[in-house]
Amino acid sequence: MLQHLIALILRYGIPLVFVNVFLEQIGAPIPAVPTLIVAGALARDGRMSSTSVLTAALIASLIADWIWFLLGRRYGYRILRTLCRISLSPDSCVRDTEATFERWGMKSLLVAKFIPGFSTVAPPLAGATKASTLEFLIYDAIGAFLWAGAAVASGRAFHHAIEKLLQKLEDLGWWAVVFIGFVVALIVLIKWWQRRTFYKKLRVARVTVEDLKAMLDRGESPIVLDVRTRGARKRDLRRIPSAIVASSPEEVAQQLEHIPPSNPIILYCT
Amino acid sequence: MLIDRGYIEVRPLAGGLDAWVDAGYPIEELLE
Repeated sequence: MLQHLIALILRYGIPLVFVNVFLEQIGAPIPAVPTLIVAGALARDGRMSSTSVLTAALIASLIADWIWFLLGRRYGYRILRTLCRISLSPDSCVRDTEATFERWGMKSLLVAKFIPGFSTVAPPLAGATKASTLEFLIYDAIGAFLWAGAAVASGRAFHHAIEKLLQKLEDLGWWAVVFIGFVVALIVLIKWWQRRTFYKKLRVARVTVEDLKAMLDRGESPIVLDVRTRGARKRDLRRIPSAIVASSPEEVAQQLEHIPPSNPIILYCT
Repeated sequence: MLIDRGYIEVRPLAGGLDAWVDAGYPIEELLE
């Protein structure tokens, strides 16, 4: 049974790599690294071309990233919220990602794909900062090449082990398909559950703008903290009246030095 | 970090500054 599947992979290998990489980079929870590793192993045995695999991965990655870059440029930071909704990686905090991007600039695109969560968020962030398209494409292409190259090279290096694994799966027949399907479904389920729990916590903890306005109108005076990064504040000089500005943990600690811990604190980003 | 420092009621603003601006609530300009 699995021979047919491998034959299918061998027949449609390059389009499969292209679609898998594109879907992952556009934000779907479908990892492309295993496909690239297997493609690398098959390439080592002469059953696929490493150059074609790398080219397909590079083009797919560039197209997906460029779409996010353009959306970032068009819609600014709002697009990041949409991204968080479709991504199953709630741990990728937009603010932390933004701070990383500000620290390293476009160079962060070179390693972005190796960092879970940062990979999909970096291109729209680059767009939101109005970075040059040419500079973005150059850094993004190098980053995609390094990422796909590392996966393909791993596949080539460990091709014996991968061959053995594929052989074992082949021996299992349909059970291998069931097993792989089960593992993939389990990964997606765990990530979905993590996201659900994360949003549930956020929903409980979050305060709406209407609630905050009502609190301020009632004179409750909660401490409102503007924790946007310096770059984000430079781009948008507005703030909620009386909000305390603090970009780093040190600044937050300094600003809250004389505030008693019983005081409610409401913080906001962009 | 704030919770670690003992602050018991720390809540993020849903939608951030954009939601505040979209709701038409007053804002002030930062002097930077």
